[in-house]
Amino acid sequence: MAKKKKPEPKTEPTTGGKVGVYVCHCGGNISDAVDVEQVCAQARKIPGVVVARDNMFMCSDPGQEMIIEDLKSGLVDRVVVASCSPSLHETTFRSALARAGANPYVYEQANLREQVSWVHHGPAATSKASRLVAAAAAKAGQLKPLAPLRVEVQPRAAVIGGGVAGLKSALELAQRGQEVILLEKSPFLGGQVAQLDRLAPLGETAARIIGELAAAVLQHPAIKVYTCVQVEGFEGYIGNFKLKVIRRPPGGGEYAAQLSTLSQSGQGLGEFVPFVGLMPASIPETQEDIHLEAGVIILATGMRPYGPRTGEYGYQKFPQVVTLPEFIRLLAAAPPGDTLALEGRPIRGAALIHCVGSRQIPGVHEENEGGYLNEYCSRTCCGASLYAANLLRENYPQTRIFDFYRDIRTYGRGQEELYTQAAHNQAVFFRFEAGEEPQVLENPDPQGPPLLVRVQDVLTFGEEIEVPVDLVVLAVGQEPNPVADLVEKMKIPVAADRFLQEVHPKLRPVEVAVAGIFLAGACQAPFDVGETCAAAGAAAVKAAAILSRGYVELDPFVAEVDLSKCQGAGACVEACLADGALTMVELEVGGQKVKRAQVNPVLCIGCGACVAVCPENAINVQGWTLKQFESMVDMVVSDEYLEGA
Amino acid sequence: MATPKKLSFDALVLGGGIAGLEAALNLAEQDFSVVVVEQDASIGGKMIRLSKVFPTLDCSSCITTPKMAAAAHHPQITILTYCELQTLKRQNGGLVAGIVQKPRYVDAEKCIGCRQCEYQCPVLVPDAEQGGLAARKAAYIPFSNAIPQTALIDTANCILCGRCAKICPTQAVDYFEQPGEFTLTAGAAVIATGFEMIPLKDKVQYGQGQIPNVITALQMERLLAPHGPYNRVLRPYDGMEPDNIAFIQCAGSRDQSLGLGYCSRVCCMYAVKEAMLLSGALPLADITVYYMDIRAFGKGYEQFYQTAQAMGVNFVKGKVAYLDPGENGAVKVRYESQDAAGGVQVAEHDLVVLSLGLVPAWDPQGRCVLSTAGDKFIKTVKPKTSPTLTDLEGVFVAGAAAGPKDIVDSIVEAGAAAMEASRYLTSVSSKQ
Repeated sequence: MAKKKKPEPKTEPTTGGKVGVYVCHCGGNISDAVDVEQVCAQARKIPGVVVARDNMFMCSDPGQEMIIEDLKSGLVDRVVVASCSPSLHETTFRSALARAGANPYVYEQANLREQVSWVHHGPAATSKASRLVAAAAAKAGQLKPLAPLRVEVQPRAAVIGGGVAGLKSALELAQRGQEVILLEKSPFLGGQVAQLDRLAPLGETAARIIGELAAAVLQHPAIKVYTCVQVEGFEGYIGNFKLKVIRRPPGGGEYAAQLSTLSQSGQGLGEFVPFVGLMPASIPETQEDIHLEAGVIILATGMRPYGPRTGEYGYQKFPQVVTLPEFIRLLAAAPPGDTLALEGRPIRGAALIHCVGSRQIPGVHEENEGGYLNEYCSRTCCGASLYAANLLRENYPQTRIFDFYRDIRTYGRGQEELYTQAAHNQAVFFRFEAGEEPQVLENPDPQGPPLLVRVQDVLTFGEEIEVPVDLVVLAVGQEPNPVADLVEKMKIPVAADRFLQEVHPKLRPVEVAVAGIFLAGACQAPFDVGETCAAAGAAAVKAAAILSRGYVELDPFVAEVDLSKCQGAGACVEACLADGALTMVELEVGGQKVKRAQVNPVLCIGCGACVAVCPENAINVQGWTLKQFESMVDMVVSDEYLEGA
Repeated sequence: MATPKKLSFDALVLGGGIAGLEAALNLAEQDFSVVVVEQDASIGGKMIRLSKVFPTLDCSSCITTPKMAAAAHHPQITILTYCELQTLKRQNGGLVAGIVQKPRYVDAEKCIGCRQCEYQCPVLVPDAEQGGLAARKAAYIPFSNAIPQTALIDTANCILCGRCAKICPTQAVDYFEQPGEFTLTAGAAVIATGFEMIPLKDKVQYGQGQIPNVITALQMERLLAPHGPYNRVLRPYDGMEPDNIAFIQCAGSRDQSLGLGYCSRVCCMYAVKEAMLLSGALPLADITVYYMDIRAFGKGYEQFYQTAQAMGVNFVKGKVAYLDPGENGAVKVRYESQDAAGGVQVAEHDLVVLSLGLVPAWDPQGRCVLSTAGDKFIKTVKPKTSPTLTDLEGVFVAGAAAGPKDIVDSIVEAGAAAMEASRYLTSVSSKQ
């Protein structure tokens, strides 16, 4: 990492460095509400600011080049970019500084987009922008070159979840030459995909997909698989995560149904059993604590199908109402014939209802048991439903299908063909509006099929239609697996839809706010199997970059003790929120043994709790010192540089 | 023309759009050397031409330009622009690529991007970067954020007046520049050649581009973009501010009459997004979206669609049968209504935007033995467990080259392709 060459003047504030201010239009995002030229003009009057320029997109290459040239020519030695939130482009500009041969930490970003142009208009917006720029420039004048913290990386990835996402990311990393620990809560590998039969749109079997992936994982010497484990303890940081996992026999009859299916199947360990998965090892008889260390973590905790409320579309009220996963299982066991027969009961007509537990609208739909609505589309159900409809029509030509949908979302490769095929197969489609969902009722005609589906059909201009059926299949959506425990321990952000939240869907789609932890698959959003494997690959490639480099560099925004001021009061150690980041050590000062505070930089989270309590002002967070804050506050409240640009 | 200094790489990425750049960055971050071969004069692909992107409404440039800059400055990445891949084949356990450097008629080594040639050039040509709605010069830098900032001369329109050569401070203009050919070798390749929109002229029912004020969704992107042709939304025919705008969905998708049976996957969301941006730009305008199904399937997409409905965008279910010119530059839209009344109806709109479907931008036929599927996009052989695997060893595919795909899905797939490629490179090197 490049070091700054010029020594920092020890003395006072805003005149410290030669500050360059670079104001971004953000393609109108900022300049539509903020007078960028006026912000520049006012910035030029701030002591220490030697140049202020603007650009349509500062983050573009020409924009960055502008900064680099000013640094290289010696015109400036401190940089303020006034643009978007630092969360978007701070790293972009820090690396531009590094490319210019400057220290990347003599950089400050003023947020004129999220904090100004997106929320204010008119002269007030320009005035606030100028104040924020003034504050940033004042701080920049006081910034000192810093060196990043270099941390060695444990050469190992921990993958949490043994479904298709976990299996795929583990396999990719191992084949890339990395060591992997795969942790699975249940006794089985295969996750939700193991609960399916043939997959839309091409009909690959779950048995083959899970069988192949799991076999490759189990055979790979670099992957260690633990089933029946739960993560109980988590600590550490990127490069050095420590996990305490407990391996124990599943309690309270959990997995009893799958285990009994497994023993009836006659299959052994390491063999795929339909609707169960693949059990790689026998269930532990006793509880065992396992301590693991990993450099990176991949979360592949997956999803579960939405469970309809009792009475929702007649579910659990009428035995003839089943969910799509339940139907897939019934269909797999059904005998051949002209008419589908389930448990001896002929199914002459079946209704498929889409969007059950998906696309729920506040004020229109009833909240689910947990008091939430699933406002999202579950992405996979349209394709899966039509695949099942085709299977049914082609194998049981005397069974009719009635499909009730809002929009048919067969978006993926090979999926539109399923829809066309369903039409060829004479599936009958009815379209309903949100809030006018079909009703599943008991058929008043005792001679007819047991159920009646009533719908106001958009395709026939709002006609009310009643369809008597023997079976209703609910195309239930996906919900994230409940992993509140894990999320709490790891401090992973969760989105409003309860899926785990990436940093940015395009810039950093598989990363979370905690460095070194990545998302793979349906824990992030509903995905089909192919999309899940792609996400697993994307998570693995980020992990591989860290593991193959062997070290990571962290921002040095950590506490620093000024030994000339520290009196050893110890208040900082008490206030410290990160275990072990601050300790009292014995030092010799002037021939006397005294106690002084000492920081472990890799453990420090830079929260500043210690700064607030130190009676001597002897501790500061680097890059965010009290002096720097004071100079920012001074400029924010000062009107001196605002008037008459 | 100068041959690149380095001709042998761990990986070759074909296409410098968002998928290609993401794949290249993910490979380079593992210390693999990467060459990106791009046919256009700048990297950035389709994404750099967009205004804002769904569902976050980030400005597209804010996401694309940093990735372009990161790739351009990465010590492990070499970028070759204005290059065509002639052949790609397996040889001696690796891949060999025959490349043609198209002549820029400007020496890229000498050009300093000062644009003096552009300012001096007297020829005005419709600018494809602006959807043909604005003009550029015959000597030009493709767009303001282009990488590299190297000029080129469009010889189809150049009048050989010599002004550019005369003004150029580094004598970079070379009217006699010839195409250059060279050969690259690589251990693995990622195909990220993206998509094109179906040509307007293909759809007879929608006027084949002859009806005034019927524009494409990409042209609407430019009208909404900060560097747009008019810096505001005006209809191109007469400069009127439109009060009543319609989007026609599935224009060339799910359309057997064009042999394009597939769903183009992105048009619903980009139309919803453009409709939303339009209601910001023209708060009083009526906006109608004619659709068959709204396919808002990705993370946050359905909520985005619901927001557009709440903002007053009018969604009308019905496939539009015909477009015809109306009075005063208006466009007549004939469709079957699904209202209680039903029946065929005709609506008039000031401006009509066709949500055109996507077709592949690159055909491997005659260049390499990579197979395409029935939809003409690159065929993937294990779509479930290895979605980026092709039928040619060591060659992977990412983004819209393997079927229409939005930016989020393309970026994730690029990560997956880079992972497969790095895994493959590891296995090959361990065998040797």
